[in-house]
Amino acid sequence: MAQETDNGSSGPIISVRNVTVGYGSEVILRNISFDVMEGEVLAILGRSGCGKSTLLRAMIGLLEPQRGEVFIAGERMQSVIDGSSAPVLRRIGVLFQSGALFSSMTVAENVALPLRQYTDLSDGTIEKLVVLKLHEVGLAGKERMLPSELSGGMQKRAALARAMALDPKILFFDEPSAGLDPVTSAELDRTIVKINETFGTTIVIVTHELASINAVAHRAIMLGREEKELIAEGSLENLRDRSEDPRVRGFFNRMPLES
Amino acid sequence: MQRLKDILRLRRGPRSEETDVAPPLDADNGKKPDVKGSFSIRVDDKAFDELRIILAGKVEMDNADLVRKELLWVIETEPLKNVVIDLNEVEYFDSSGAAILVEMFQACHRVNNTLRLMQVPKRIETVLALVDFEHYKTEGILQPLSEPGFVTQVGEGFVALGNNSRDILTFIGACVEALARDLIRPSRAGWERLWKLIERAGANAVPITAILGFLMGGVLGFQAAIQLKKFGANIFVADLVSLAICLEMGPLMTALIVSGRSGAGYAAHIGTMAVNEEIDALRVMGIDPIRYLVSPRILAVAFALPCLTLFADLLGVAGGCLVAMVSLDLTPVGYYNQVHRVLELTDVLKGLTKSLVFGVEIAIIGCLRGFQVRGGAESVGVATTSAVVTCVFVITITDAIFAVLFYYAPSLW
Repeated sequence: MAQETDNGSSGPIISVRNVTVGYGSEVILRNISFDVMEGEVLAILGRSGCGKSTLLRAMIGLLEPQRGEVFIAGERMQSVIDGSSAPVLRRIGVLFQSGALFSSMTVAENVALPLRQYTDLSDGTIEKLVVLKLHEVGLAGKERMLPSELSGGMQKRAALARAMALDPKILFFDEPSAGLDPVTSAELDRTIVKINETFGTTIVIVTHELASINAVAHRAIMLGREEKELIAEGSLENLRDRSEDPRVRGFFNRMPLES
Repeated sequence: MQRLKDILRLRRGPRSEETDVAPPLDADNGKKPDVKGSFSIRVDDKAFDELRIILAGKVEMDNADLVRKELLWVIETEPLKNVVIDLNEVEYFDSSGAAILVEMFQACHRVNNTLRLMQVPKRIETVLALVDFEHYKTEGILQPLSEPGFVTQVGEGFVALGNNSRDILTFIGACVEALARDLIRPSRAGWERLWKLIERAGANAVPITAILGFLMGGVLGFQAAIQLKKFGANIFVADLVSLAICLEMGPLMTALIVSGRSGAGYAAHIGTMAVNEEIDALRVMGIDPIRYLVSPRILAVAFALPCLTLFADLLGVAGGCLVAMVSLDLTPVGYYNQVHRVLELTDVLKGLTKSLVFGVEIAIIGCLRGFQVRGGAESVGVATTSAVVTCVFVITITDAIFAVLFYYAPSLW
């Protein structure tokens, strides 16, 4: 998949153009532009507080950019804050940092929700689809449980099943390994790779976990906390092994800035 | 110097007996105090040109305040000399010690003295370096907060008020739109959730409404009975209780119960959903949170509250009947006939109309406060409280408006 995108055989599925994001008068990121190719796994890297999640929120329409535009599959991403429902939403899935499962619904109802929202499938079909989706993420048999009865890792996986319910073209992950032990985190990484390889799903992942980045990402962009802009972009190998930029080297080699 | 030592001894003597924290000052023979977990402050009398304070023992969070007071007192007693603090005999030193030293530097600076540390052991140096002591000893730690001016505060208040009003209006508009969409395309509305919400807001509130309604009728009847007995107008207790309950007390009391149960519940539920990114998850799924969460709740409470009110009316009148039987020797049939004579259907309908409006208000306010939650758990608590207070306020205002409306426009009813 990575070779394919590097050769440029398929065009960008997401285009972020001159996006400036912030809250109120505060600017968090300035003039960000990059593309995500179809079928690749792009990691958005950066130190804590550099605005990775904010950029992600702007990409999925949860935050109106102060300037600039985001195009997904050629369509301009509209803000979804007012509850509007753009057709492009059907083609994306989002795994939030906390999972964001609806606590009053069972796991199965959570996964079924997007199916009921976007399709006219019968209850029987939805039920079967839900079981399959849960099986895909390794949660078979947990259909009737409430999110609060699941462990942190299981909640993340259930949320992933919900994000994948409609077989979206693009999946967004906001710090998927946050709060997970190394083994669970590695399992989740493997699931992400599997989804990418099997369905050709384009994946945008916000993270600062080196192990995750190495395991899943093809390409990466790095945001600077002080610079408030994009400081590096390239294939993972180039950034990790060949970058001369001390900020990039410091990130990949876990070095404090002073030394 | 001798005078200072005398003062020190005097000050330290009784306190050390009381608390056993500070050992008696032993400056004469210069011996290191052997009391564990404590400290001592001595003044070296060999240094004539400066005030050399020898700090010894432990400086930690537990005794930091005492160390601070003593040091400050010593420094302020000799305001004309440059101060030197000798740290060589300090056994233990944590960040509270660093904070104290910063304060001492500031205190000396205030009286135009200089302060110098001497014989700083390596481990204390490390602690000081870790907290960037060199920076803070000149700059100080506490920066005075800049209080915004009166005009700024008033301006900010108005901006906040404006934003809040805009939020409320936008929210009400969005609710109306969502309800309209439900009416236009009822197949997309979440009817199955509606029944559950009606059960929670209505059926589950029946016991408490029943008890309070019955008691309210009883108490009204009892108070009325005391007065009416004086005039031999016993039978009019039925008039008073039935009209008061059906027109005012029933709708109002039920609305207050439902504000506390459902209004607060909705604020907490939706607020927690906002904190857990669940609202965001709905939005990126293309599900309008207002339509998904708010409009079924408005419909649920708007349906449940009049039902509960009718129930409270019935039991309130029954409560009045019981009191009338016990304390006024009325028969149930007599009571019933009097109620039948005086209470008109429009009175009951007026009460139910009010409760329908109250219901819509409670659901909108509860949900609005939930959506306003930003941040964490504390914000959810604030939203819940605010939901109940706003509900009570708005319900009372609405009730007053209805009272005027019903009085001046009787022909409408």
